[in-house]
Amino acid sequence: MLRSENPTRPATIDELLSSELIGKISHLDVSSRKIFAGKLKGERRSKKRGESVEFADHRPYTTGDDLRHIDWNIYARLDRFFMKLFMEEEDLSLHIVIDASASSDCGEPNKFLYMQQVAMSLGYIGLLNLNRVAVTAVGLRDELVIPGGEQSIAGTVRDLRGRRRTHDLARFLCSMTPEGGSDFSQACKRIAMSRRGKGVMIVLSDFFMKEGYETGLRMLAGRGYDVFAIQVLSPQEVEPDISGDLQLRDIEDGDMAEVTISAPLLKKYKENLSAYCQELRDFCARREITGLTIQTDTPIDTLLVEYLRKRGLLR
Amino acid sequence: MIWATPILAGFVAAIAVPSLVILYFLKLRRIPREVSSTLLWKKAIQDLQANAPFQKLRRNLLLFLQLIILGLILLALAQPRSTATASAGRKLVILIDRSASMRAVDGDISRSSEITRLEVAKERAIGLVEGLAAPSLFEDSEKADEAMVIAFDRSAQIVSQFTSDKTALITAINGIVQTDGPSSIEEAYRLAQSQRPNRIFIDTGSSGEGTDPVEIEGIKGGDAYFFHLFSDGRISDLDVVRADEDTPDAPSFEYHAVGDAGAVSVGLTALRAERDYEDPTKLSVFVGVQSTDPLARSVDAELLVGGAVVSVRSVVLAGAEVDVQTGKKKVSTGGVVFELNEPNGVVVGVRLSTGFGNESSMDVLGTDNSGTLIVPPAKQASVALVTTGSLFLKEALTGLSISDLKVITPGEYEEMRDAGEAGAIDLFVFDRAMPRASEGGVVFDPGRYLIVGDVYTGPGGMIDHGDGPGTQIINWRRVHPLLRDLTLDAVVIGKSRTVEIPDGSELVSLAETTEGPAIIEMSTGDVRAVMVAFDPAFSNWPFDVSFVVFLASAVDYLGTQVGTDVDVNARQITPGFVLADRVPSDAGNIRVRLPDGSMSSEIIAAPDGRIVYGPIHKTGVYSVQWTGSAGVSDVEDDGKIIRHYAANLLDGPESDLGAAASLDLSNRVVSASSKGEITRLKEWWPWLLLGAIAVMMFEWWIYNKKVYL
Repeated sequence: MLRSENPTRPATIDELLSSELIGKISHLDVSSRKIFAGKLKGERRSKKRGESVEFADHRPYTTGDDLRHIDWNIYARLDRFFMKLFMEEEDLSLHIVIDASASSDCGEPNKFLYMQQVAMSLGYIGLLNLNRVAVTAVGLRDELVIPGGEQSIAGTVRDLRGRRRTHDLARFLCSMTPEGGSDFSQACKRIAMSRRGKGVMIVLSDFFMKEGYETGLRMLAGRGYDVFAIQVLSPQEVEPDISGDLQLRDIEDGDMAEVTISAPLLKKYKENLSAYCQELRDFCARREITGLTIQTDTPIDTLLVEYLRKRGLLR
Repeated sequence: MIWATPILAGFVAAIAVPSLVILYFLKLRRIPREVSSTLLWKKAIQDLQANAPFQKLRRNLLLFLQLIILGLILLALAQPRSTATASAGRKLVILIDRSASMRAVDGDISRSSEITRLEVAKERAIGLVEGLAAPSLFEDSEKADEAMVIAFDRSAQIVSQFTSDKTALITAINGIVQTDGPSSIEEAYRLAQSQRPNRIFIDTGSSGEGTDPVEIEGIKGGDAYFFHLFSDGRISDLDVVRADEDTPDAPSFEYHAVGDAGAVSVGLTALRAERDYEDPTKLSVFVGVQSTDPLARSVDAELLVGGAVVSVRSVVLAGAEVDVQTGKKKVSTGGVVFELNEPNGVVVGVRLSTGFGNESSMDVLGTDNSGTLIVPPAKQASVALVTTGSLFLKEALTGLSISDLKVITPGEYEEMRDAGEAGAIDLFVFDRAMPRASEGGVVFDPGRYLIVGDVYTGPGGMIDHGDGPGTQIINWRRVHPLLRDLTLDAVVIGKSRTVEIPDGSELVSLAETTEGPAIIEMSTGDVRAVMVAFDPAFSNWPFDVSFVVFLASAVDYLGTQVGTDVDVNARQITPGFVLADRVPSDAGNIRVRLPDGSMSSEIIAAPDGRIVYGPIHKTGVYSVQWTGSAGVSDVEDDGKIIRHYAANLLDGPESDLGAAASLDLSNRVVSASSKGEITRLKEWWPWLLLGAIAVMMFEWWIYNKKVYL
């Protein structure tokens, strides 16, 4: 719950993904309960027959289109630019949304590190299975990290595919630091607008959002994405180990709460916490989102091998 | 309910109450902590607050309780007291009668044991002291009651000056010792009043302009004094006491009556011994007895000589009557005379068998039932007339009944003197002569001298201007023992002698002519001499009756301690007075043996042999002892010279024991206050502080439980 005093900031892939873990998860693959579209190179059997043909249609060229997709044969014949439109690639997108706001930088073990490790593990599984992997870090940043990006997106990397890109993924994750606040709804809007294809979206966050998580999750759900909401909590948030007369300061917005820790207050807090989590899971259930609450002291392999497999994310 | 320190409490309240409120709003300093989100905490707090009834009240409840605590502490600081003794800061004068009548054992008739009035008075006085407003905790003792304790019989003694220290006062009261003296409030009252300044009046006159301030003795200003008299009211001189105006909350003079109004006492009121003039071996002892018993009774009076009963006489006393008009009891008196033959000096005692302490006869005072007299041995003066042959003096002296009269010449006197036989003669009468100065320049050996027709001009003597013209005696001391019985108007002096008393001299002129002193008394240590400056032969005095009377008085006065009643009873003293006498000038190591056998510390005699001891407090026989030469009547025992004195109460009003129900002061009558009901002061502040602690503990409990409120 409290801000980690000396949080571990992973610098290499080894800190995010141990070789031991690699051994445990190498056999796993990402699956979706909704998406049955085939994937590149027939790795995944598609239900849609005859749609594996690349060409789909033509459309007139407009400024800014990729020159590589101009149908030069038609240009030769008609002296006009037409774009070759190809079928959307049928491979499974694995989009991992990670909460990089300051509130993630809490707890022991550190929540953000845990999210990084989970994202790395899942991303590795995705890359290993030739899925299209994208990672978006959500968090308000004053400086624009990506050109044309919004302040609500701290960073994003997409269209990673293949085991070769594992280090790119790791490098991106390592470059992220949890800081600032978040605008979850705005970020989700961006993500929903920019995503492509179909696949699985995994949202890693503590979901402690004063403005509410409902709007954001609502935007992410649907449109062919199978959304998993994994609520990451530190053990200290579940069982507060504070006492005395305290002035609690919200790490993100600086909001103050003056409390005198007493047994009834802690009891009330815990009641509220479980109710909050239950509310989140109920919300997710209504939106066909798979909700899951995990504590950071849960080993990653347990999460992956047991919890996520059980819920059909991995197989 | 009074407040000892309300101003202090007010000040503290003015500071503390706003401070508490401000502190409450500032609240306690909380430890800042950063948390991932305050979302749930806020919800939890909101939930708790939403669940609490009287949310706003709850927030203020702690403040409310703290204000209660503070209020209690402030009230404690003001030191409230509940009492009937009105305002604090009074000055009390506690007068405690320790006279003989307070020895009566009817102090508290409700108690079975015999307890004296003085003990009861002390108890009540201590009760009064304990009820005084104590000095408050935080202010100086200005607001506390102060009390002064004066114990008195005939004399008064301040046993404690004004103080608010109750322990000191109680110790002082407990230290008061019973005496056997009669009671007189005058000295005690003056002692108390002397502490107060005189009130100063400024007479503005008709013009309205102030003149010089005027002090009037006896009208006192300053703080009001509250007198508390603990006595049986048997005080003879209450009319010297002038009570102030009563203040609204306390009388200025309160009389705490001790003793039983109906107490009965039989006691000696007079005791006197006389030797017969003609036959000094005959001794008469007169005994006066009084009774306050309403019933007639017969009392046995025993005469003791040297401690053994030699005679018993019965005295019949009528019942005491009550004066119908004044309502006062008139005591019945009686007397008896013992006659005995006793040429020697003896200690005569008289004892009344009144059944003291006996329930049926109820004489509650034992002190006045016995008395003692010191009777010197029978003796007549031996007189030597030193003359060269004078008709008048010799004839006049011979005419007096002097058992032992010698007529000698000045030469014979000097021979006697040289032989050391002069001490055997009580009085030398020099007729126109003077003793010769000895080798050391001493003119008068210790002794008594009557010098007629000459004056002493040596050191400390007169200045002689020689013969003067004829004159008359125009003035003389009519109260002096020598001259009180005679008149000198008719004396015409043919040839006077002009003498002058030097300034600062101890010589006293007893009679004066137009030319100056005519009869002079010289009194220096062991020597007492009366000088008649002119020669009676050159006057008509020898033919006047006053001449013989003068000589008789001179023999009486100068021929010391001879068989007249004056000296027999001179050795009587009354408790409360001092023992004062003269001893020979060579007396050393002078001590007084008290009736209880103890010895006083050494007394230093004045140069003229004067000693003062006392005031004495007890009845009985006092003996002054010294080493050195003996006086005429003194007893020599084991190298010590002993002179006895008898202290007797012998005071009729004091023996009348019925406690007075009211006192007649000079300006009003004060009734006895209700018996012993002196309210004790009760301090409330400890209870208030306890209350504050209780509320504080309650608050702490609430604080820990406050979430349930």
